[in-house]
Amino acid sequence: MLTHQSIHAVNPSRVVILGASGFIATQLQRVLRESGIPARAVGSKEVDLTTSDSAGMLATLLQHEDCVVMASALTPDKGRDIAATMKNLRMGENVCAAIGEAKPAHFVYISSDAVYDGRSSSLINEESSREPSDLYALAHIGREKMLEQSCAAAGIPLAIVRPCAVYGPGDTHNSYGPNRFIRTAAETGKITLFGRGEERRHHIFIDDVAGILQLCIRHRSSGAINAVSGQAISFGEVAEMVAAAAKRPVTIEFRPRASAITHRHFDLSASIKAFPDFAATSLTAGIARSMVNL
Amino acid sequence: MTGGNTVGFAGLSHLGTIYSTAAAMRGFSVVGFDKRPELVASLSAGRLPITEPGLDDATREHRDRLRYTSDSAELSACPLVFIALDVSTDDSNNSDLAPLEALIEEVAGAVSPESVLVIMSQVPPGFCRRLVQKIRQDVAIYYQVETLIFGDALGRAVHPERYMVGCADPTTAFPDAYEHFLAAFECPILPMRYESAELCKIAINCFLVSTVSTANTLAEICENIKADWSEIVPALRLDKRIGVHAYLKPGLGIAGGNLERDLVTVQNLAATYGCDSRVVTAWQHNSAYARDWVLRRLSALGLLAREEDAVFSLWGLAYKTDTHSTKNSPALALLRALPKYQWQAFDPVAALPAEGFPEVRVVSSPLESARNAMALVVMTPWKQFASVDLEAVRSAMRGREIVDPYAALDRALCAKHGFRYHSLGSEPC
Repeated sequence: MLTHQSIHAVNPSRVVILGASGFIATQLQRVLRESGIPARAVGSKEVDLTTSDSAGMLATLLQHEDCVVMASALTPDKGRDIAATMKNLRMGENVCAAIGEAKPAHFVYISSDAVYDGRSSSLINEESSREPSDLYALAHIGREKMLEQSCAAAGIPLAIVRPCAVYGPGDTHNSYGPNRFIRTAAETGKITLFGRGEERRHHIFIDDVAGILQLCIRHRSSGAINAVSGQAISFGEVAEMVAAAAKRPVTIEFRPRASAITHRHFDLSASIKAFPDFAATSLTAGIARSMVNL
Repeated sequence: MTGGNTVGFAGLSHLGTIYSTAAAMRGFSVVGFDKRPELVASLSAGRLPITEPGLDDATREHRDRLRYTSDSAELSACPLVFIALDVSTDDSNNSDLAPLEALIEEVAGAVSPESVLVIMSQVPPGFCRRLVQKIRQDVAIYYQVETLIFGDALGRAVHPERYMVGCADPTTAFPDAYEHFLAAFECPILPMRYESAELCKIAINCFLVSTVSTANTLAEICENIKADWSEIVPALRLDKRIGVHAYLKPGLGIAGGNLERDLVTVQNLAATYGCDSRVVTAWQHNSAYARDWVLRRLSALGLLAREEDAVFSLWGLAYKTDTHSTKNSPALALLRALPKYQWQAFDPVAALPAEGFPEVRVVSSPLESARNAMALVVMTPWKQFASVDLEAVRSAMRGREIVDPYAALDRALCAKHGFRYHSLGSEPC
């Protein structure tokens, strides 16, 4: 459950974003710029968070009044193996060491809904157990716990934002769902579904993730929030929406599924209480905006 | 009606006030003790601090048999004394037994030898067995399960379905004074050991929670598959295994304090003795989830992405009808979840707590509450709401949405008057 240190939204003096070139980081920088909030992105070329000297380098960069947003991670498309996991954990370790020394005013960690057990179809909320079903989830859970401990020790309010699948223009991951469907519909006129695309999932538009992050930043929030859309929709319905919005004829083809159908639904109650007047972009509108330049 | 003995009631909270009046209605002379002199003065003047149907009339009619005092020594005239103080709970629904224990100690010191003390307060299993070890040996201790329902308390106290009595030895006959009292209520009497009676009360509440939780779960599925829960309920009631009086109406989570307390007691016992209480945890999660149904519906309707001057109408603050209590009330939970929104709230009985609701304006009628509102939310299904003129409500409101989880209003009438209507267990119309 998220709580706000500032009931009224207040701009921080600076936001430092760890991970400069990622999908979410790029969008967040744009949103902060448009809101007049000074932001400094720190990429791996400047500070490689996997190296042992990165903690000291990062601590030197940070100021006491900063809000730090950690977006840096090796995403599943860059590897779900042990090596990638250990790198992700090392990043967490080094960031924790840095903030323990620099003690910024606020920390926002961009986690993932992968922390919840992917094999379960139960309704998920922020109180649901974090159970890794793979190493990627394990890395995020590990980083969440490291940050919880380090921030508590240093007295830094910590917000953990757990997005579901994120889609939109500028996506760098091409994961199964709106991003891949939009890309293949535009490039080949085809969308491939496993089974009949029965699985229901939340898909959140990139602008909405950036919007929620900005709200957390401006309210100096602490606690956890799932960044999800209003409703879980089947991959089949998503494919049909993309086909309807495409500028060329699109064929939807079906391949045998490799795994049993699971659905993933989220209880929005805590998100609504945290930001009651926040309205997620509808999938129809998000798909349209994603395809406008294709 | 039979009677004739003098009985004492110690602790004049809701429980004590109701049962002392019920005893007077059954012909007993009653000495009601509470150490709060202002409460005693109020009761003596006929000003009752609680609201229950029929209670004002009954205490007025039988006032010659009801005597209130803040002097525990007066209980020495009562061969039978009921300890009837409601046990309060904290925000985590844990019981605070300290006031009860202090009361029992004082009363035990005041009563005459060979008196009978009957504990009616809501205690965890093991309480009476421990009490017997501590208390004077010339006083007999019994535990009597109370099954009051807020809003129907007096009726249930005067006409109990049965008495469940916890005893040190269930095979031993009751003392005369207690036997005489129990017989006056003309219902089956079930003696059992202390621990069974203490758990019996909790068991009753657990079964009630289980049926409500099941109703909540299935009602939500109805909303999604175009079924209507209200069509299913009569079929369930006609199944003898479920029964005509089963609690099958979906709701906004358990409230009032007693049910929540008993679930926590079961979890504490399970944790102590290594029993499986995961089903209880599931009920608690279901209750918390159900509580936010209105919040989620208002959000899904886009009503919370608000215009700055948007106003919402709220009918009902009490946690249920026919009570003044707002303990764990879904209405207050909704108001707390949306503190920056403007609310116009009406309740015929319950009052809004003084602190914590700066944006809520309490008004004097349902129509005034509806004025300029974007949506009307009916959080307590007071009967009077069903007869409010919907045409007048429509004219008063800005918006057309009625969120009526308990179906206090007539769905077809609401639709006829141009409202979009939402209730638990069916899709909107």
